[in-house]
Amino acid sequence: MIRKRRREEEDSEINITPMMDIVFIMLIFFIVTTSFIKETGIDPNRPVAETAIRAEQGNILIAISPNDQIWMNKNQIQLESVRILMEAAHAENPESSVVIVADELASTGVVIDIMDQIRLGGISKVSLSAKEK
Amino acid sequence: MRRKFKKKREESEINITPMLDIVFIMLIFFIVTTSFVKEISIDVNRPTKSPIKEQKKSEVISVRISEEGQIFVQDRLISLDAVRANIESNLALKPQASVVVVSDREADAGFLVKVIDQSRMAGASNVSLAAQK
Repeated sequence: MIRKRRREEEDSEINITPMMDIVFIMLIFFIVTTSFIKETGIDPNRPVAETAIRAEQGNILIAISPNDQIWMNKNQIQLESVRILMEAAHAENPESSVVIVADELASTGVVIDIMDQIRLGGISKVSLSAKEK
Repeated sequence: MRRKFKKKREESEINITPMLDIVFIMLIFFIVTTSFVKEISIDVNRPTKSPIKEQKKSEVISVRISEEGQIFVQDRLISLDAVRANIESNLALKPQASVVVVSDREADAGFLVKVIDQSRMAGASNVSLAAQK
């Protein structure tokens, strides 16, 4: 009789193995999918494009305001410092790519200058942000 | 004697509670920091080595944007709606050609994105961006 009771007690413990499995799977999922996107600090009015696609690896954002100011990581920066910042980002993560969030009214010259600076900084994947129709 | 043995065995089990705590904290951290906001963007290249002049004329469809927002496809003035059809017909003649958008520095970035979008819709896989000197 005593033995039987004992057994029952042991059985009544909650088995946490499935929960552990699920928690681990969630953890791995979030580790893999997380990408630390740094906000630019401004929200420009993105142009509309129909062929725009979701950038899978775009984790560096550079925004251009309507009056051609350059914003990155919640700071306004100068064109000259884009290159240094890109070099640092490239050293940190060689697979990083850049998305330029240019306002509709920003001038093309600044966009091209920034693209050149990004390329000089060692990052070759550059895309222009847009929004869906 | 028997009882003692049993007790010992139970104690020798690895205590996984601290690990669970850490895993949960990591899980919560990743859930909180992850951001699924992906920028929607269009890929743009910069013409790499050779300037456009040196590239073979036959392999390039040039789209020029003037300061006032006029579009010239192969030096012919057309409207934005006609860009797609024009590039399609040019691509039919030379399927290997890449589209080079030469933009004036003062043109709007929004307009530029619209032109690139139109050329991508026309089927151009390789759209690059150049500045007008």
